[in-house]
Amino acid sequence: MFKKFDDKEDVTGTTQLKSSIQKGIRKKLIENYPTLEPYLEEILPKKENFKLIKCKDHVELLADHTGVVRFVKTRNTDFIPTLRTLHKYPFILPHQQVDKGAIKFILNGSSIMCPGLTSPGAKMTPLVPKDTVVAVMAEGKENALAIGQMTMSSEEIQSINKGNGIENVHYLNDGLWHLAEKPLN
Amino acid sequence: MSEAGDIASLAPGPIEGVEYPLKVLYCGQCTMPLEYCDYSGQTELCRAWATQNVPDLLEGLNIDDSKGGDEKKHQTRGGKGSKPVKEKKKASGGVQKVTVQREPRGKKSVTVIKGLATFEIDLKVAAKFFAQKFACGSSVTGNDEIVIQGDVKDDLFDLIPGKWAQVTEEHIDDLGDKKR
Repeated sequence: MFKKFDDKEDVTGTTQLKSSIQKGIRKKLIENYPTLEPYLEEILPKKENFKLIKCKDHVELLADHTGVVRFVKTRNTDFIPTLRTLHKYPFILPHQQVDKGAIKFILNGSSIMCPGLTSPGAKMTPLVPKDTVVAVMAEGKENALAIGQMTMSSEEIQSINKGNGIENVHYLNDGLWHLAEKPLN
Repeated sequence: MSEAGDIASLAPGPIEGVEYPLKVLYCGQCTMPLEYCDYSGQTELCRAWATQNVPDLLEGLNIDDSKGGDEKKHQTRGGKGSKPVKEKKKASGGVQKVTVQREPRGKKSVTVIKGLATFEIDLKVAAKFFAQKFACGSSVTGNDEIVIQGDVKDDLFDLIPGKWAQVTEEHIDDLGDKKR
């Protein structure tokens, strides 16, 4: 999804949001990620205005007052945290762990196939319904390496065990990852 | 895996006794968390970076390297490995150039400056400085773009090198007028 994403080419404009709309977004984030509530103040302080960056293909980025991109909205997902946000608050999303063999493919941007989620090195959070946004962890690693959207429920992955299980939305070293890198420092 | 305790936290929700935000160390070479350096396709450079910057963590990294050896054997059979990163990043970062341009806004005009960020100039500070200097409005309008209200293009050729020594007059390009 963000394999090729360039801040010069893909960004169409930034908007300073009205505070009422900001309030709405904050409320929505808490609704989607209830565990985030005590920490939202740290990510998007109420006193500061955050910006909405509109991009091509219905992608919208949410940048905090310092210009660091914290959340992303795509055509078929709601606001999801970026990997950098997720690394700081790994509990936001349900985790799905893949085995070691899958890592390099995911880092190339491929979707996560079911066998990578069901093999001995992998672990799945049960009862995750279809279309949920999940953090993709890896065997033996502490940090998430990708964020994906389930194309089947965990149970279906377990029973079908073939084909795409999680669609790769955002992974380490993709365009979005590099975008967040610059204003951070 | 010893991380079992960590992964037992598959269910969402903050872990008790852990302080958030977590600090994750990223490799200065491949920008990924250190544990993923194996897959960067430039392990050598990553290790060099780690030796220099975080020697105390290198021990953990070395263990990963031995695993990386196995991984490499697999790759020789072909298939998609992690590709070595191409060096196009340096090329784009290497072009340091500032462009100034007059752009009509009705019967008045504004001046658009691009490229200041390639000299690692803080755009917000720069915009404020221009606003003060020319007694006019000035704002950061995009990634690496400043708009100054009023036609001040000619003054900029002296002002910018005077304020930021790293920018010389040769770096500044005059793009003339932008056609509507």
